[in-house]
Amino acid sequence: MTSTAERVPGPVQTGPGTRRRRAVTTSRAPLVLLAPAALLLLALVVYPLVRLLVISFQDYGLRAIFTGQAGFAGFTNYTNVLTDASFWPVILRTVLVTGAMVLGTIGIGMAVSQLLTRLGVVMRTVVSVVLVLAWAMPNVASSLVWQWLFQPFYGVLNWLITQLGVFGDHTQDNWASSPGQALTIVLSLVIWQAVPFVALTLYAAQSQIAPEYYEAGSLDGASAWAMYRAITLPALVPTLLLVTILSVIWDFNVFNQIWLLTKGGPEDTTLTLGIWTFVKSFVSNAYGQGAAIAVISTVILGALTSYYIRRLVRSGEEDL
Amino acid sequence: MTTTTTPGVTGVTASEAQPDVAEATRASRPVAPVRARRRKPRVLANTIAVVFCLVWVFPIYWMVNTAFKPADEVTTLTPIWFPLRPTLENFTRALTQDGFLVYLRNSAIVVVAAVLLSIVVGFLASAALSRFRFRGRRAILVGILFVQMIPSGALLIPLFLSFQSLGLLNSYIGLILAYVASVLPFSIWVMRGFFVAVPVEIEEAAKVDGAGTVRILWSVLFPLVMPGVIATSVFAFIAAWNDYLTAYVMLKDQGMYTLPVWLAGFSTDKGTDFGGLMAASVLFSVPVVVFFLIVQRRLVSGMTAGAVKG
Repeated sequence: MTSTAERVPGPVQTGPGTRRRRAVTTSRAPLVLLAPAALLLLALVVYPLVRLLVISFQDYGLRAIFTGQAGFAGFTNYTNVLTDASFWPVILRTVLVTGAMVLGTIGIGMAVSQLLTRLGVVMRTVVSVVLVLAWAMPNVASSLVWQWLFQPFYGVLNWLITQLGVFGDHTQDNWASSPGQALTIVLSLVIWQAVPFVALTLYAAQSQIAPEYYEAGSLDGASAWAMYRAITLPALVPTLLLVTILSVIWDFNVFNQIWLLTKGGPEDTTLTLGIWTFVKSFVSNAYGQGAAIAVISTVILGALTSYYIRRLVRSGEEDL
Repeated sequence: MTTTTTPGVTGVTASEAQPDVAEATRASRPVAPVRARRRKPRVLANTIAVVFCLVWVFPIYWMVNTAFKPADEVTTLTPIWFPLRPTLENFTRALTQDGFLVYLRNSAIVVVAAVLLSIVVGFLASAALSRFRFRGRRAILVGILFVQMIPSGALLIPLFLSFQSLGLLNSYIGLILAYVASVLPFSIWVMRGFFVAVPVEIEEAAKVDGAGTVRILWSVLFPLVMPGVIATSVFAFIAAWNDYLTAYVMLKDQGMYTLPVWLAGFSTDKGTDFGGLMAASVLFSVPVVVFFLIVQRRLVSGMTAGAVKG
């Protein structure tokens, strides 16, 4: 943040000790190499993003689709969205649900990563394979599996929960259509699938820590918990930051799992910004309002992750 | 499956591959209490690991288990933990169903075309962005990073409307272009990471020997980043193969459906045929899981490279 001034484009600094940099090229080679990608990205990403912004200020509905003409609507879409009874609940829910997913994922991921360091080779391989399997499952397939696990009457998890005897009879629960329970299955699915990446990435970072630190610690009689806090955690901070921000981005944008399990219901209890954008645009055909919500979502996500972008921009500067 | 993964998975842990040796040397030292203290947590850790594995693998187990059960064992009030009379009838029902092969072909055409286009174009771009310095380079990199953060729905609205007026909805080309829009920025970013890892000196040596830009790119750099290119391709393949939202929005005609769209509609079409549904899920997941196991480790390093340092 403090380095904003330093990052103003200017001559590349070559401080003492930095590795060799090459001069700004005058050859046309990079332009030629970039041209095809630039064309595709301009047509398929840049132009659509500009158009998204334009649409969010247009009266773009079904009629516009057929006539091909949409009138300028000023801020109508934005005021409509902002005064929609769903707006604040959706924003709040999206932030809370994202937060819960990220916290759950990072918490379990840290625990599993630590667990991996405590295991022998065989058990560690078994856990890794299980993690990779869960990670690799296409989320459309895992959403369908979740439907089946929590199916009323025949769902095996309903049966298991009932067998625990603590929560009473849940065999007939229809989780996806009960307002209090729908979020539980969505959260469990997303966390189940997200933990492996976090756990394996953290473990890779953890195994880079020199064992001498721990040996010194145990010679001094430090407890395992004290060593985790004093040695492991500080070494993990950069990786933790990375996986947290990536999780925020991914969980904020979760669509398939929610859509396939609950479609945003029941009673909107799983209606997040992503689902709302989709419903407004492709179910109600109010593309203008959908675009406005998409713009707002992008701004919120940008704000949530600006720290990471800044950091990456800065590291990219040092990188080459 | 286990044998395929072992190299990848243990590769991560190679530095710790001989804990027994380490422990033996430690035990021979006079710090016996440490060894004694380590013993108990190992039992505890193993117990926790077993419980964790059971919980985490259970959904997958249940999917496979259900897929091999005859219909009367699928819907039972008390779960049947192992197929009593294992059968392939769910798989044959899913496979011979109206047009599974059509959806498979649609998926294959669209995904392969999108990945090929993205990787070839992205390879050139990532070479330019990593091996040359030129004005605007940093702006492009930041732009590419930013694009990956945009909610998928945000790009979908304008693409849908543009394709609508261009008549590209419900077509291979439309879906391919939509996938390129999401796969290309990612591919450029990840492949650039692999390029950056190649030392400048190699390239300079080739230049001294009189090699031109094309020659350096093709004969020197390409072989070196090849593993990265393959890993990126596989990941791009998985991302496009798994896409549901874009295809769901863009495809109206059932004959154009890709596998995820068909799969997601399976339960609504067939009511409670969970045997068939789980068999279809297995069929759909297997290629992804296999590819994933192959490149998983390289991908973790590719995605985090350049992001953690600094």
